[in-house]
Amino acid sequence: MARDVLDTVVAAETPEGILLELRPAGLSVRFCAFLLDWLIRLVIAYAAAIATVLTGAFGVGFWLVFYFLLEWFYPVAFELGRSGATPGKSIVGIKVVMDNGLPVTPAASFTRNLLRFADFLPFMFGAAIVSMLLRRDGKRLGDLAAATLVVHRPQRAPKVKLEGVAPVTPAVALAAEDQAAIVALAARAPTLTAERLNELAALASAVSGDAGKAGPNVTRRVLGVAQWAMGRRA
Amino acid sequence: MTPLKFEALYQNEWQELEERLDVALKRKVADKTAQPLRGERIAALYRRACEHLALARARAYPAYLVDRLDRMTADAHQVIYQQRELGGAALRRLVARDFPRAVRASSGYVWLATALLAVPALVLGVLVYFRPGLILSVVDAAAAAQFEQMYSMSAESIGRTRDAGSDWTMFGFYIRNNVGIAFQCFASGLAAGLGSIFYLVYNGALFGAIAGYLTERGLGSTFYSFVVTHGAFELTAIALSGAAGLKLGHSLLAPGRRTRRQSLVHAARECVVIVYGVAAMLIVAAAVEAFWSSAAWVPSAVKFAVAGICWLVVFAYLALQGRHAG
Repeated sequence: MARDVLDTVVAAETPEGILLELRPAGLSVRFCAFLLDWLIRLVIAYAAAIATVLTGAFGVGFWLVFYFLLEWFYPVAFELGRSGATPGKSIVGIKVVMDNGLPVTPAASFTRNLLRFADFLPFMFGAAIVSMLLRRDGKRLGDLAAATLVVHRPQRAPKVKLEGVAPVTPAVALAAEDQAAIVALAARAPTLTAERLNELAALASAVSGDAGKAGPNVTRRVLGVAQWAMGRRA
Repeated sequence: MTPLKFEALYQNEWQELEERLDVALKRKVADKTAQPLRGERIAALYRRACEHLALARARAYPAYLVDRLDRMTADAHQVIYQQRELGGAALRRLVARDFPRAVRASSGYVWLATALLAVPALVLGVLVYFRPGLILSVVDAAAAAQFEQMYSMSAESIGRTRDAGSDWTMFGFYIRNNVGIAFQCFASGLAAGLGSIFYLVYNGALFGAIAGYLTERGLGSTFYSFVVTHGAFELTAIALSGAAGLKLGHSLLAPGRRTRRQSLVHAARECVVIVYGVAAMLIVAAAVEAFWSSAAWVPSAVKFAVAGICWLVVFAYLALQGRHAG
């Protein structure tokens, strides 16, 4: 892997030769997830304590077992669910997968959560923090041993909406990547302000033969080239 | 081919695959009219979608198209290749075969862990027996007095302070405490095995010191009749968790012909089977300790007889179970 690239995307290859792109989650987002989970566990523990202590000695025994399960198996139970994430991870939009992009297995989830204790050493998750900061894939020790990866949930790319834009034949020959760039701009168009869209379209104005010009008309013509690249012809 | 034509051409296949995947991944409840889930159809559509994705990427089709194919193939990949390990059959296999086999496969570590637990116990036991004052260098005076009271002949329940809770409370306490220690003993082995060594030696030394002290005080019969039964499960389990931790640490220190990371992943996969078994043994130990060992009305002779059987069963299970099973 090239050292001078900032992008941390991990490519997992399937047996069919398709590359699945996994985007590892970094320290800060995982810290937020951890904090949320910690709060949720605290609330559950208190609620259970109030409910069970009232029921006497049997309740106390039950609470101790319950607390033990909450301490060690709260993440395992949720990671093996359909979302592959604890509630905290779900909220911040990350999940746990195997290195090859498959859902996390019970053994791997158990391993990574047992080794959380080793990640805690020497104090305050020191080992985990150092490991996550040093590694491009943001793994803590438990992830290394269990061969798991914490990744951002993929976000849907916006659909290209170009209704009512007249197709414009490009003024210059466009390579596939250039066409893709123009279409990507068109896909982003609804999320941009008109001024910013004009500014960006002006950068690409050469494609519609308007090099050096800017303004709403130029923008419409650049989007027209996108329409053409999508396959609509006048 | 333009993106729009490409999409129009294969739209139907993609939609069928997406619908089947939604049902397979239980995102959508299958209505009764839907076709049955057919694996071979999903596999065929998946291979087609893989081709389309490769084409779409090579031709730099717009992001939303590549994205849709990306998500479709990723979902299908999950449905087709995911491993299911949970369930009764897996549990039966674990008990009948995998756990004892994993223990035997790591027998070197098991013997080492046993020595790390037993040698400090013997040394401290003998030392404290001949020089009882030494107990104060292991625990403080109040704790020593408490141990004496817990195992005194007059105690209602052996092995507990007078104000400790009922059997059920103690059961919960033993689970939380002992299984937690076993998990820590295993996990801290990742630090080049040092953590496991610490937990084994510390627990062995503590146990030995208390045993030596109580024996010297003449409370040996109550103490040993208390610990001997659940010790079959508990001491063995602690040694096994330490062995798993040592194996984990060793895999990092001496990865052999693998990379350090591969070696760790490989060792962790074997160790986790041992830890499953350790957790189960400690739950048994907690139940025995809470409901049987502490019962003062059971004569010592009976306890020793039952304990003998327990030790025999545990050793026979670990040494023999699953040798020939397929």
